[in-house]
Amino acid sequence: MKLLIVEDELKTANFLKRGFGEAGFTVSIAPDGSEGMRQIQSGASDLIVLDIMLPGMDGWSLLTWMRGSGIETPVIVLTARDQVPDRVKGLELGADDYLVKPFAFAELLARVRTILRRPPVREPSTLRVADLELDMAGHRATRAGQRLDLTAREFSLLSLLMRHAGEVLTRASIAGSVWDMGRGGDTNVVDVNVRRLRSKVDDPFPRKLLRTVRGVGYVFENPKRS
Amino acid sequence: MPSKASPARWHGASLAALLTAWYTTASFLVVAGATGSFYLGLADNLRRISEQSLKDELDVCRALVRERGGDSHALHEEVEIDSAVRRYQKYYVRVLDSRGVPLSTTPGMDRDLSSARVAQAASSHNGIFWIDSPAGAPYRAIVATVPRDATGREVWTLQVAVDLAQEQEVLGRQRIWVWTVLTAALIFCPAVGVAIARRGTRPLREVAETARHISSTTLSERIDAEGYPVEVRVLAVAFNAMLERLEESFGRLSRFSADIAHELRTPVNNIRGEAEVALARSRTPEEYAEVLTSCLEESVRLSELIESLLFLARSESPGEHLKRTREDLGRLLTDLRDYYEATATEMGVVLKADAAETILADVDRALLQRALGNLVSNALAHCSSGDTIFLSVRRQPRQILLEVRDTGAGISSEALPRVFDRFYRADPARSRNSGGAGLGLAIVRQIVFLHGGDVRISSEPGAGTTVSVVLPQSA
Repeated sequence: MKLLIVEDELKTANFLKRGFGEAGFTVSIAPDGSEGMRQIQSGASDLIVLDIMLPGMDGWSLLTWMRGSGIETPVIVLTARDQVPDRVKGLELGADDYLVKPFAFAELLARVRTILRRPPVREPSTLRVADLELDMAGHRATRAGQRLDLTAREFSLLSLLMRHAGEVLTRASIAGSVWDMGRGGDTNVVDVNVRRLRSKVDDPFPRKLLRTVRGVGYVFENPKRS
Repeated sequence: MPSKASPARWHGASLAALLTAWYTTASFLVVAGATGSFYLGLADNLRRISEQSLKDELDVCRALVRERGGDSHALHEEVEIDSAVRRYQKYYVRVLDSRGVPLSTTPGMDRDLSSARVAQAASSHNGIFWIDSPAGAPYRAIVATVPRDATGREVWTLQVAVDLAQEQEVLGRQRIWVWTVLTAALIFCPAVGVAIARRGTRPLREVAETARHISSTTLSERIDAEGYPVEVRVLAVAFNAMLERLEESFGRLSRFSADIAHELRTPVNNIRGEAEVALARSRTPEEYAEVLTSCLEESVRLSELIESLLFLARSESPGEHLKRTREDLGRLLTDLRDYYEATATEMGVVLKADAAETILADVDRALLQRALGNLVSNALAHCSSGDTIFLSVRRQPRQILLEVRDTGAGISSEALPRVFDRFYRADPARSRNSGGAGLGLAIVRQIVFLHGGDVRISSEPGAGTTVSVVLPQSA
């Protein structure tokens, strides 16, 4: 998958390139609007991460030009401005998503993956990671053959983590998906819930599947044997 | 929203000028009215007197004609000698026989008031009438018939007139006096009016002068209105109260700015210090990872603080939009309870949500969740094992009442009025590490205000705290 990142702030561009590169994407950088335009015209990107505050031609103009030229490549807009009108403007002008700085890279990565995963894959009826099995239809979780006793919320939380196996999920996104809690809420609560889940799902078993990524969030994955 | 009285009524005129104009007009009218009515009264009285005198004389002559019958000597004396002697209110009499021939006439009467002239004037009047001589000298006169004797066969006519010259003279002098007084008033009243107005508005000017000197750096000054008239004192008191509020606002703002700087400074210092020390010598990958993680945590805390501050700043400016959707507030509370359930259980705290009836309202879901979440967090922070937190929503006349009540430690009465202040932490020992930056309740208040509602807190140390959020029921 090829990503184009249009961003003038050097450090931001660097960590984005590194992060996406290590996540398996091919990344190219454009430091301003006109270079961005050139790269869009010459090569085919699968997704564009576009910063709004650019020198010269700003992000809005580039986006407008893109959509006006019939270029349908998905775009995620990055900005430091969080006004509601800006969000609406971004979506109206044809952006697919909108992220406010400072953001968690894991969040951006998750959104990129979500957009690129379209059309949506049908929900599998069973989720499986290592020896943990989740029967979505029957709402049953078993590990190593043993039935796990989970509450409805814990089940939702586990299925979210398993569906995004290998991806780091931020507390905010977990709170939003499992409890429909909006931005800016108290995310420490998520820690407690994850802890309880962990005590039921991981603690009684030798292999730990639920990993805490300090400063970012949680990830569910089969740990590589080193 | 700023409110205005209606200054259009005053048309921007000077208060002193208006006062002067009104005073001048009023006092001039009073003077004019007084002197005018006095003059008219005098004229009227003089008229009555002369009319009475005229009647008297007529009666005397009549009596003389009737009673003294053929004694024309007495009549002759009365008509021609007695009246001639008089100087003031001179009267003139003419006696005509039944054929209209003058029998006796006061000397001098023929010159001014000929028989024909009088008769003609009398013809168009009843009773006493006014008449003037060919030269214009004014008289009052009356003409009457009198029977000569009891038989009534012979009827004589009496023409009596009184000289109004003196009366006119008196009135004339009076008129001069009136005009003099009015002219003097015309000069005097405005002058006094101006003086009074200027003196009267002087306290206002002095207060304005003092106010001019007060600026943002001298906000602690107040206007001293001791000894000023009550009305000006009222103004000065209101002004001082406004200065008090401004000073407090400025104080809060500069404290807030200082607080922001400090709060932001702390995590930045941590990041900087940790990184600097870590880089001072070679470290193992694990050590670097540890430092980087710690810096990441501090950065996240920092960006959350920035986001909270930006929210507070934005929500104070007018035009901040809420994304309102129709929400079931009872559902909102139960969702909140679900969210915090695990945390509460871990602490041994019971969390209850009362959502018996469906209460719909147009609210910004995310913001209200955040506000109520902050309240639950706070309640949890003040509770310990065995305590209970109650979430409830109730419909009230024209409003909706949301309550978060806990049976925890409570807040002291000194701290209670300040809990909604920014960066205020009731328990100073609860440092940034365990609690937040102290913005939680300030954000709650802003969110509630944005919805057009109000938030109140009451607490009893040792018994618990109740936070009440009132939202207007618009639909």
